[in-house]
Amino acid sequence: MNIKEIQKLVEDDGIIFLSFGGFLSQTLITGMTEALENETEKNNVGMGIANNIFTIFIELSQNMMNYSKNKNKDCRVIAPGGLIVVSKSTEGNYFINSQNIVSIEDKEKIEPKLLDIVALDRDGIKRRYKELRRSGKNTHEKGGGIGFYEIAKRCDKVEYNFEKINEDKFYFHIKTEVKIKKEK
Amino acid sequence: MENLNIEATKYTPVINLDTNGTISMVGKSYPENTFEFYAPMMDWVKEYFDTSAKATTTVNLEITYFNSSSSKLFFDLFDLLEENHEDHTIVINWIFDEENESAEEAGEDFIEDFEDLTITLVSK
Repeated sequence: MNIKEIQKLVEDDGIIFLSFGGFLSQTLITGMTEALENETEKNNVGMGIANNIFTIFIELSQNMMNYSKNKNKDCRVIAPGGLIVVSKSTEGNYFINSQNIVSIEDKEKIEPKLLDIVALDRDGIKRRYKELRRSGKNTHEKGGGIGFYEIAKRCDKVEYNFEKINEDKFYFHIKTEVKIKKEK
Repeated sequence: MENLNIEATKYTPVINLDTNGTISMVGKSYPENTFEFYAPMMDWVKEYFDTSAKATTTVNLEITYFNSSSSKLFFDLFDLLEENHEDHTIVINWIFDEENESAEEAGEDFIEDFEDLTITLVSK
């Protein structure tokens, strides 16, 4: 391992931190959220925008934590390939990205929500979020089924893709951007 | 019925449930198992309205940021308050820092969803 290469990668891409390995605990998530609090405070990011960054980070990392726990229960293998990266552009906008490996069954559950989200405008996302929260649908899921809508509500841009590994496994990427200055 | 006080952690708010008619929560909320974490609070609020409610109950909520399952849980709490609002006077304050527009928006969403409740946005 060449730590200089990692340093270069981190600096070139404005990476604030990354966590690799797919094993996330609540303690680790709390620690990283505190690091983000320091980061936004140091850079005078407005409180409302900073809280949106924290919420998106928490949603994505708790998703990954719950996902790897469920997998461990089923097959006793830690879900590999989990990655969460928080970075910042030269303009100061924040990007919160995650990757993990999902089964085809999970892809079929997740993808319709994401297709719905990318087709909706801001008001539409808010409306759908409130409908789902009220109906309590999908409450068997830990996040109450509104997690991706929570993320979409709080960022300026969300993109995702599924990259096929084999017949029943996919890399699931999600990329969000939070702009520091709101467009009028 | 006794008071219930739950201390804050780095990811859960301080919760004070007082039989004098005050329910308050202050802090952040992103527990790992949200519904289990808040179950004692929800049970207390149910029992309070069933057996011990004062003429006026004041609910003060000051949550800086929260995850989506906490959002659902707060919705369930408002639902419970709405079930009891006809028989009891309930005053609800959604408190936020004036610079925290995302907390303000969350409060506005709850006001829209619970037209029968009296929820006041309080900026500080």
